[in-house]
Amino acid sequence: MPPKAKVSSKAKEAASKTKEPEAPPPKTANERTAQRYYQTNPCEKRREEVGLHGLTPTERQTWANAFFLPLIVSKEVLLSHKSDREFWKQVGKESLPVRRLSRARKQHHAWGRDRHGRDVGELSPEDFDRRSLQQARLAALEALHSRFVQRRELAGLRLTRPGSSDSAAHEDVTPEEVEEDRQRRKEMAALKSELYGEKMGTYAQDPEWDDVTPIPADEPEGALAAIAYPDDYAEAISYLRAVMAAEEYSPRTLRLTEHVISLNAAHYTVWLYRFKIVQALDLSIPDEIEWLNQVSLENLKNYQIWHHRQLLLDHYHAQISANADADALKKLARSESEFLRLILDEDTKNYHVWSYRQSLVRKLGLWTPQELAATQSFIEDDVRNNSAWHHRFFLVFCDPAASTPGCHATEHDPAVPAETVDREVRYAQEKAALAPQNQAAWNYLRGVLAKGARPLASAEEFAARFVEGVGEGEGREKVRSSHALVFLADVWVEKGEKEKAALYLSRLAEKWDPIRAGYWNYRKQQIAA
Amino acid sequence: MPLDKQRHLRYWQRCHRTLLPTQYTSHDSTRMALAFFIIAAIDLISPPTSSGEPPYLTRKDRSKIRSWVLSLQHPGGGFCGSPTHASPAEARKHTAQQTGTANLAATYFALLLLALAAEGDGRHALDGVNRRETLRWLRRLQRQDGSFGEVVLDDGSIAGGRDMRYCYLAAVIRWCLRGDAKEGAGAWVEDIDVDGLVEHIRCGQTFDGGVSESSQHEAHAGYAYCAVGALYMLGRPLEKDGEPEENGPLDRGIPHFDALVKFLVDRQFAFLESPQGHGDDSEDDQDSVNFALPSALEDLSLEENTTFVGFNGRCNKVADTCYCWWVGGTLSVNILSVQPARNFLLSKTQHLIGGFSKYPGGPPDIYHSYLGLAALATMGDATLKGFDAPLCVSAETVRKLEAARRVLVASDEARGTWAAKSRSTADAFWKGKEPVWVDKEIDADTRERLRQALHALR
Repeated sequence: MPPKAKVSSKAKEAASKTKEPEAPPPKTANERTAQRYYQTNPCEKRREEVGLHGLTPTERQTWANAFFLPLIVSKEVLLSHKSDREFWKQVGKESLPVRRLSRARKQHHAWGRDRHGRDVGELSPEDFDRRSLQQARLAALEALHSRFVQRRELAGLRLTRPGSSDSAAHEDVTPEEVEEDRQRRKEMAALKSELYGEKMGTYAQDPEWDDVTPIPADEPEGALAAIAYPDDYAEAISYLRAVMAAEEYSPRTLRLTEHVISLNAAHYTVWLYRFKIVQALDLSIPDEIEWLNQVSLENLKNYQIWHHRQLLLDHYHAQISANADADALKKLARSESEFLRLILDEDTKNYHVWSYRQSLVRKLGLWTPQELAATQSFIEDDVRNNSAWHHRFFLVFCDPAASTPGCHATEHDPAVPAETVDREVRYAQEKAALAPQNQAAWNYLRGVLAKGARPLASAEEFAARFVEGVGEGEGREKVRSSHALVFLADVWVEKGEKEKAALYLSRLAEKWDPIRAGYWNYRKQQIAA
Repeated sequence: MPLDKQRHLRYWQRCHRTLLPTQYTSHDSTRMALAFFIIAAIDLISPPTSSGEPPYLTRKDRSKIRSWVLSLQHPGGGFCGSPTHASPAEARKHTAQQTGTANLAATYFALLLLALAAEGDGRHALDGVNRRETLRWLRRLQRQDGSFGEVVLDDGSIAGGRDMRYCYLAAVIRWCLRGDAKEGAGAWVEDIDVDGLVEHIRCGQTFDGGVSESSQHEAHAGYAYCAVGALYMLGRPLEKDGEPEENGPLDRGIPHFDALVKFLVDRQFAFLESPQGHGDDSEDDQDSVNFALPSALEDLSLEENTTFVGFNGRCNKVADTCYCWWVGGTLSVNILSVQPARNFLLSKTQHLIGGFSKYPGGPPDIYHSYLGLAALATMGDATLKGFDAPLCVSAETVRKLEAARRVLVASDEARGTWAAKSRSTADAFWKGKEPVWVDKEIDADTRERLRQALHALR
């Protein structure tokens, strides 16, 4: 046994003689390491400066003793009894440190990088110590966390193998413990992010999802159109893929679909999956529609949303029809109409909404004066709203009570009453008169005439009101609507008055609608042929 | 203003080489489409192959595109829209776990991408495409009424609306893959219901001559392109110099062709700067700003180089870059105002950083940037490659597709003949006749044991 090193005053003196001058307090962890290295390796700094042969014999002796000390302590070098005693005497005299920092530690040790990519060794000693404490805390939390996961797994195994009643280790975790682990993961996530800038996803943090192994998407090098996904998207998708493959239909998967939809409403299978969940859990359709309303208002241009609504409507309609629930039907019609009014307020020409509105009319048989009036009010508000004009055409000419099923939109339909045609002609003319350059009304007028198999000439007088002295020269020729001019040209074609038609088409090309000059000239050639 | 090709090239190379910004997350399910627009745009501005100059897509780029696209092929036929929708590679090997879903649009874009990425004359473009399964899957997507859905679910149900776009996509996929194998031939795969599809499209024409999403909806230029494109592709000859059939789908599917032409021509309007000017990007007031009407009709003049002609998709809607394409691509362009339409694109929606925006003053995006180029190419822009409007890619790429189809059909023919032969052998076996074994497949020993088993059965 080496004798206990006695620190005599003489030895202290000797030590202070050989020691380097007192260094200033270290600014970084690396500096502190360097200082500790020199503190625990006496004369090393001098040696680096002047070389071994530059040292005084005493210094050289101290340096060599310090160098050998750990080797002797660890018995890697064995000395004779006598030399051993001599050696320890020397060590005691010089108060040499038994433990020392190795050279490799000083020169090459990498502390790693923090979340900002900085070398951890360059942190201030205080920050460095705080970081070390955090690392220790994280390690402890991870140990507790994996114990929790393991216990849960074992409990799960016991459930599947009821025969093996092993011990308390298979006891399932309590709700309190689950809550505790949830908090633990929160802290772990904060620590991981703080220490390493690593993100621990929301699902990985949630004990409720422990039994799902996420299936991440393959993203090979050279993948095309790769997107800088937001942090939680890739994780949510990988859990979605897993539960879809497992065909799990549960409240938690319903929540997951909501999350994915909020990030990517155009995901073409998450909606179908959500519909299956709604069916499997037999959830309230009105509740689902209520939820969908909000999503629709946030994603006005999305296509999938309306398909989902369509599926819900079909499903719900079948349900309440089977129960002959007249009240529920009325309520549905009212709430749907109310929502459509709301969303069309945002965009009165939204294609998806008007398409859905048609299917709603068909499904619920809304061939009613109220629906017609609602549509009309869109036209009254904005006479150029072509979507509303189309919906009106549909309401009037596809009503099964007053039309031939399957009759093409451009065909004459003998089942449409003459009064209806009269009424629609009047309506279109009234609106065209309000804004003569609004093509929607003129198109509608032509459509109605075709349905009623009436000649264009039946509206010749009306169209002529917007046109004066065509071809009679500047000053006399007045046109308030190029569409009226086109309409009249077609009337002349219908009547076989080719020259007049050609004149009107020429005036369109030259003066009143030059953008389509190419088209008007092409029409002229057609007539001449 | 000319087309600034270098600037567009830089825009597209950025899209190709770097991550797309987070805003594209809502397009994650249609990455195949984004990839198509990017690669097709680079192809379109590349020097034509005949010029001998190196193309902008390197050999390495091409092989990466190919392997990425093929990695999204679904084992049950068709392609998935993005890695999000594909089964992981591990599962594909075992085919036990099917987490992926093939999608109609993705399949269309995948086939065109493979042709865009092909080397040389493109004969190997479609190698690796599961032609039979894809064509069978296509049939499963068709409904009784002739329309198509976009996805087939595990239980065989068809999901997706009745949408004119699906009609077009289905018609193109059929043209790319089916070929002209006759019934009984090795490469024969049962066809979709073409007449049903034509009839479904026919119902889509509206009272004002346009075409809608499906019967009785509002007329829309995009759907008009899809309807005409679908009908054209259904009757398109398989090879460049083939003869189109008399009274083909196009004649049958559009009951009022003149009215359709009128509808499309009407989509053009003079784009007038609003008197207040507009420098902001907000879409809210685009309606009033963008579709400004002249105060009096007399004010409309048409000076070829100073006028801007925009296109809208529906009556009384605003001008949008992509409708220059949807309308221009549908119509023969000689009756449109080509120069003013070019002016609109090049001076109003061409962007400083390359690409095109949806509206004047807006930021460029991948979709409008490609369709802006496509519109210019259809109008015959001399600096771009020759364009095939019905397929929306360079004519060169279409030739590659044709060559690749020949090779693919021939290889299916060879495989199919063998399969038919072994099938008839099996039939003979179970009918108890003296079996004719397929040579090389069964060794003498097995053959003997089978013969004995057969006798035992009797």
